[in-house]
Amino acid sequence: MHLIFTEVETSLLVIAVDLHSRQRYLREHPSQLMHVLDSVVTLANMHLMLKTKNKVAIVGCNAARSDFIFCDTDAIQPQPGQSGQSGLARQSDGQYELFAHLETSVKQNIKKFSVDENSSFFDDKDGESLIAGALTMALCYINRMNREKATGEKLNSRLLIVTGCSGGASQHMAYMNVFFTAQKLNIVLDVCSLDYELGLLQQGCDITGGLFLKIPQLQGLLQYLLWVFLPEPPIRKKLVLPPPAKVDYRAACFCHRNLIDIGFVCSICLSIFCKFSPICTTCNTVFKPPGSLLSKKKKKANKNVC
Amino acid sequence: MADEDEGNEYRWETGYEKTWEAIKEDDDGMLEASVAEIVQRAKRKRQAERRPNTRLGMMRHLYIILDCSDAMSDQDLKPTRQLCTAKLLEGFIEEYFDQNPISQMGIIVTRNKRAELVCELAGNVHKHVDIVKQFAQGPCSGEPSLQNSLELALSSLRLLPGHASREVLIIMGSLTTCDPHDINVTIQKLKAEGVRCSVIGLAAEVRVCRQLSKETGGMYSVILDDCHFRDLLLQQVEPPPAARTQDSSLVRMGFPHHNRIGNESGDTTSASNNNPMSFCMCHLDVESKVDSSKLGAAGHLCPQCGSKYCELPVECRSCGLTLVSAPHLARSYHHLFPVDNFQELDAKEIKVSDCFGCRRKFVEFDKHAYKCKACFRIFCLDCDIFVHDTLHSCPGCTSTAKIGVST
Repeated sequence: MHLIFTEVETSLLVIAVDLHSRQRYLREHPSQLMHVLDSVVTLANMHLMLKTKNKVAIVGCNAARSDFIFCDTDAIQPQPGQSGQSGLARQSDGQYELFAHLETSVKQNIKKFSVDENSSFFDDKDGESLIAGALTMALCYINRMNREKATGEKLNSRLLIVTGCSGGASQHMAYMNVFFTAQKLNIVLDVCSLDYELGLLQQGCDITGGLFLKIPQLQGLLQYLLWVFLPEPPIRKKLVLPPPAKVDYRAACFCHRNLIDIGFVCSICLSIFCKFSPICTTCNTVFKPPGSLLSKKKKKANKNVC
Repeated sequence: MADEDEGNEYRWETGYEKTWEAIKEDDDGMLEASVAEIVQRAKRKRQAERRPNTRLGMMRHLYIILDCSDAMSDQDLKPTRQLCTAKLLEGFIEEYFDQNPISQMGIIVTRNKRAELVCELAGNVHKHVDIVKQFAQGPCSGEPSLQNSLELALSSLRLLPGHASREVLIIMGSLTTCDPHDINVTIQKLKAEGVRCSVIGLAAEVRVCRQLSKETGGMYSVILDDCHFRDLLLQQVEPPPAARTQDSSLVRMGFPHHNRIGNESGDTTSASNNNPMSFCMCHLDVESKVDSSKLGAAGHLCPQCGSKYCELPVECRSCGLTLVSAPHLARSYHHLFPVDNFQELDAKEIKVSDCFGCRRKFVEFDKHAYKCKACFRIFCLDCDIFVHDTLHSCPGCTSTAKIGVST
């Protein structure tokens, strides 16, 4: 960590933006979407500005799909037909090309989502936002960036989720896979929640060493993003940031989805049940009835050994 | 040779193989592409061999038997067999506990015709790594005793409850073993108890080892070099299919509250009043001054008896309840619900221009592309390997609301 300023280090920030139209702030004030997107784009630009070699990618997701809004393949090719326009924008105010490019490609790609939303919006109203899908794509992308980096270069990657949705239980497994992969690859996962305290994502932040913040006011989104999520993880130790959330690590049983303190776990598939049942509903294993004297004795003997 | 079947044939008895013909030069007369392809094919082959939905022994109890005889000071592995083994074992232990979080491991060392239990079955990564580091400095002398060490492992493994998966992994440098009785009796005992014994030989094939692993359903392999050694060790990380003798049962487990106030680094000053200061149970009997029981409010409280522990998973010392946290269990789910293998396509036939996962453009160098059978997305080879080896969930399937709606 002390070498941090001497080595050639670059930082890749992948932002996952939730574009689900059922988010509370969007239902109440649809125009807020531009506010959120502008804030995210500004954060991305600020990140690029910190170092010339820094990289940014943005992934979007709603209930129907998740897709890249901005990534490096966008940067290589200006959109056909639009090249003249983006060139014009570059000329007009002398803005750094990459910023202008980022903004135009975000605006263009976001359209795909709204078209999608219109077609599938009404039949799939209650579907959850596919944040986990966006994160898996982001991890694949980070994996490629790691592979393609020049030798001797150090790439620090991190993920940031900006969401106003609740829940996520239906994608539990995908989320868990993402958290553990991120932990393994030393990727920090930050979450900026616009509306809810999200238990599952809090676990993810805790596992990967990231920050969870539920912002008190949407108006100040940009400030929160810049103060809390712009600094790199090594620098954060020196800042006074919101305290880590208290994470509830209790398990939910598979049968009733209750949070339990003591439960029964299937030894074959590790499903969790709140009561003893003779057959595992996940893997159809038949269990021996518990509580026979013999097994208790065995357990005690086992305890002495361990 | 390691990959040899259980058949009676040795490799030198089989037909003549022209191994060099598998390697072809490309247009520029380079071999790299061809070699890379062989490596990738091997990787995919290993994926294809994994069969889903087999009943796995998820609660593993593994004893590692380490040879510490004279033979381990040989220098055919650099710098010595002993140091190389220790280094690779450290990686193995970390990977093992990463992939099998509620499993346990013990270490037995054999030297001077004796077996010594240096670490009992436990689930603490740091402790095991420390012991392996000590092993690297320890002396190597005399002959190993296979039977003594197996008996020692068995005496502890036979006491485990029926649902536990019992395993022994032997790392043998020596070609001989000095045993007090008939080892075949021990092998039969191991077989009866359902202990799966795998052997990794560092020198050459030994019949008794082959016999042992064959009878107990384990694997026997002899290393070619240190890379192969590493591969063989990492193969042991995946949980094996459940043994026939293994019962299934519901295990009672506790999910402690995360009683954490203030910083993770044990910031005791900010402890609030409703969490009284207490000692943790896991460090009570540690005598060293550095690492003794810490007084503080942070920790995990057993929901049954209220004892405090600083690390999970652990078995409660006062009431015997296994304490885990939900992510520990979730970490093993990917073994049970693996991603199906992708279908290999010719890169010329595909219509999309880039990989769905990492957005890399397909170039002429790519010979194959890979299609998920559930969501029909196209991936590049690197994503294919990454998804199956590390990520364990398909980016296409997780980012499509109804699987199979779009191509």
